[in-house]
Amino acid sequence: MDGPILRQRIADETAVSRRAILQGSGLLLGFALTGASTESVFAAPASWVVENEVTGTFAPNGFIRINPTGTVTLIMPMAEMGQGVYTALSMLLAEELEVGLDQIQVQHAPANDALYANSFLHIQTTGASSSVRAFWTSLRQAGAVGRNLLIAAAAKRWNVDPTTCHAKNGVVFNVSGSKHLSYGELAKAAAKLPVPPAASVRLKDPKDFTLIGTRAKRVDSSIKVDGRALYGIDARLPGMKVAAVAISPVLGGKVKTVNKAALAVKGVRQVVNIDEAVAVVADHMGAAKKGLEAAAITWDDGPNGKVSNADIVKQLEEESKKPGACCP
Amino acid sequence: MAFTLKINGTPHEVDVDGDTALLWVLRDVLGMTGTKFGCGQALCGACTVHLDGQPVRSCQTPVDSVGDGAITTIEAIGQGPQGAALQKAWLELEVVQCGYCQSGQIMSAAALLKDTPKPTDHDIDAAMSGNVCRCGTYQRIRAAIKHAAGV
Repeated sequence: MDGPILRQRIADETAVSRRAILQGSGLLLGFALTGASTESVFAAPASWVVENEVTGTFAPNGFIRINPTGTVTLIMPMAEMGQGVYTALSMLLAEELEVGLDQIQVQHAPANDALYANSFLHIQTTGASSSVRAFWTSLRQAGAVGRNLLIAAAAKRWNVDPTTCHAKNGVVFNVSGSKHLSYGELAKAAAKLPVPPAASVRLKDPKDFTLIGTRAKRVDSSIKVDGRALYGIDARLPGMKVAAVAISPVLGGKVKTVNKAALAVKGVRQVVNIDEAVAVVADHMGAAKKGLEAAAITWDDGPNGKVSNADIVKQLEEESKKPGACCP
Repeated sequence: MAFTLKINGTPHEVDVDGDTALLWVLRDVLGMTGTKFGCGQALCGACTVHLDGQPVRSCQTPVDSVGDGAITTIEAIGQGPQGAALQKAWLELEVVQCGYCQSGQIMSAAALLKDTPKPTDHDIDAAMSGNVCRCGTYQRIRAAIKHAAGV
């Protein structure tokens, strides 16, 4: 038995599965509005989760996109897995940006550690119950930067001191409330102003919070009750095929035989043999699975075919006695 | 082999082996991904659709057994009174967490309310026992079914 190779293989595979878990168990990648309707058919909050990347006329940082039409999109750096993070992070942004949760749509961030890393975990990954703590300050600052710029744009247009203006529910008001401009109306002008450093903006006093601390409704519910929510398994690319895979039941094993009958199954396009695994590629999963059965793969278990628990324990024991096996 | 399936009121032509599970026809051939793959063995309920109003596990429903039957999926269940009431209740009571099983939950609940408009706890438990939820939303599912039924 080839001890070092087995160990490396286990290490590699553990790393892979750990990454998969950190990326959200591979379950929930995003959501989309499919079908023609973009209007809610429910008496529900008009918050949305959208799939396609949103660009915005006003995009002062990685988290806020506002268009002249008034669409406010909040970009979610962490993955929603049912833990409610889209809602919690939206609340942090919306509190300081001064928009209601019924005025926004949310969208998953693209992969970008520089913009979206979790400050506790140092990469853009979701886990360890860290999302709200990690983004507590940065998302509030991002929202406050947006609010300040929109207020500044309105004050400039009215030729007044920005500190006399305030924002509420996506609208900037002058001191008396006699003048107001919506965020959509201000998007173009605000986009031309220099963006202040995030740490320089003043955050709301927690006693003034109107959203944080409330029992807000989830922003991702409506697409999950009518089949529109897209999970990882729902991803579809043009011309995409699916595959059913069989992997050697023993590490280091290899394919011995594959029955060509797999190719005769209706819908099967290709049988891919990479020695330690076989993939049957087909038009749909029903054909792929049927093809894999027809492939009737036999395996050569290789050098690890007879490894027992006792062998593994013995090997670990030997390794544990070597220098560097444990913490210094 | 070619089949004409009546799905959500619209005929769809598909050319697959007759033993292909309806689930894969819906998801992979027709691109209707609201119906979910969970276990592939009729143990979890995620793939539930209606066949002539009755809840069936589409992962174990061969396409050649469907015949002229009317198939309804989560994408269209809201067009019926039970589905619409349930979706509304689901939102009002905030049932959903990850949401993966909820298509199947709502399909099973809609079939229940069609046959039993005022279900008891026992009716609900019996009708919903085949739908599992890893988030553990069972208490809210039961409450939402009652809410939709007005009991």
